[in-house]
Amino acid sequence: MLLKQDTKTAQSALANYCRTGILNDIPGVEDHRVHHYRRLVFNIIDDSLASAYPLTRNLLSVAEWDELVNEFFSSHPCQSPQVWTMPKEFYEYLIEVNHPLLTKYPFLQELLWMEWLEIEIYMMEDQKVNYQGSDISGIGKLVINPEHRLITLNYPVHLKQASQILPDDRGNYYLIMHREPVSGKVHFTDLSPFFTRMIEHLNSQTYRVDELIEMTARDFGMNVEKMVYENSLRFIENALNSKLILGFTN
Amino acid sequence: MVGIGFRRDFAGEFLESGKLTPDFIEVAPENWIGIGGYWMKEFRKALEKYPLFTHGLSLSIGSPDELDFGFLGKIKSFLDETGAQIYSEHLSFAKCDNAHLYDLLPIPFTEDAVRHVSQRIKTVQEFLERRLTIEIVSYYTPVAAEMKEIDFVNAILEEADCDLLLDVNNVYVNSFNHHYDARKFISQLPMNRVKYIHMAGHQQVSEDLIIDTHGQPIIDPVYELFEFTMKRLGRDVPVLLERDFNIPELEELQQEINMLREIKTRSLVKEHAYVA
Repeated sequence: MLLKQDTKTAQSALANYCRTGILNDIPGVEDHRVHHYRRLVFNIIDDSLASAYPLTRNLLSVAEWDELVNEFFSSHPCQSPQVWTMPKEFYEYLIEVNHPLLTKYPFLQELLWMEWLEIEIYMMEDQKVNYQGSDISGIGKLVINPEHRLITLNYPVHLKQASQILPDDRGNYYLIMHREPVSGKVHFTDLSPFFTRMIEHLNSQTYRVDELIEMTARDFGMNVEKMVYENSLRFIENALNSKLILGFTN
Repeated sequence: MVGIGFRRDFAGEFLESGKLTPDFIEVAPENWIGIGGYWMKEFRKALEKYPLFTHGLSLSIGSPDELDFGFLGKIKSFLDETGAQIYSEHLSFAKCDNAHLYDLLPIPFTEDAVRHVSQRIKTVQEFLERRLTIEIVSYYTPVAAEMKEIDFVNAILEEADCDLLLDVNNVYVNSFNHHYDARKFISQLPMNRVKYIHMAGHQQVSEDLIIDTHGQPIIDPVYELFEFTMKRLGRDVPVLLERDFNIPELEELQQEINMLREIKTRSLVKEHAYVA
């Protein structure tokens, strides 16, 4: 290391001030100006987090949000060199320290998770997959859009405004989020357990429409009656339209 | 060549409207590495039309921490895949004590920092197999300084044998904030190392302090300093208009690009006439 300890100490003191707002003596620093560094650095963190978690920002009081951002930035050493992925560390930090706000708002962890996943899906690298838009053969197998995340939730953070979610809302919810290939927009679809199982099957391999419906029905101990078949077909048609299912392969 | 920072705020209109006609675009690799979807499509469209210059944010060349070779590997791939013509970075630090800060902090102007930073620039150049173009940053307070800024910068350029990104606005901002003569400062820089110029606006926040915001139009004294710089250079180098916040109508940005082209042409023509 070519750097002297004094130089390292001065750099560390400035960086620490930017993270915590606590100014210790830094040789040569002009006290009436150094606060701009704290302000500029903190604004970047605050803006990035507010932009990544608008629903959480809206749920928390101003004081709760400010304290949380301040606590995160001063306690957690941000690891990502890419500022757009830093908000994921914020979500992970709250879980790691079992933050009291997660107890105050029992659905907060899932709300943060959903908000982060929207960014992750929107930004993720393109996943190549081969498919045809229509099933000319009539025996084509369904190809699911790989740019999706299927998640199970205990609270309806995707269905209700966060401030309206009550303890009684606790239950089992299934959400799939996928990126529409042309616009790049992220779509949110609330799923029944039956269609969730269908998606799980398609995630493991491709299936023909009739195979998929029959197999899913069997999982639930059901016969493929007319209504089950028609509802399933409607779901698959909608999924094809929204590009949750991209098309077919042989 | 006069380029523009390619920003998501105006990417769509820029690519579709033809209202803005730069000669190249510049991006921060950190904002484009590992992404896909809509923005990657827009970026690819831009790459089909314009040469790419890059200006990194997180290398943290002045950090006491170890260099992040995993990150550098991603930078290298990005530069290769996009055919980037220049990789520039800041003479500052953005990471310390294993924590990223996502902003540019001033390195102490000391002899040991010169050796430390120079060694790291050499390492980066070897790793990337290309020259690094390093930018003099604006700063609002010195930190543990033992030497003058100009001596610090020149010593690093010499010892690291790297190129210089001369941000004319930064020199103006620093000369105002730290009370020195901007023209004298530029005159003391090794002009043969200047490979790239940045121009931008700033905001005066108090009687004696300017913050380098990139959120306002370029002011006349900075244009004048640019003209002085171009005359001193006596050769063409790429110039970038930076505008990161408070984005105006594209026509306004085009006017600034036109002004930069005009000044550059005027300065070089006069220089050539004088030489002849």
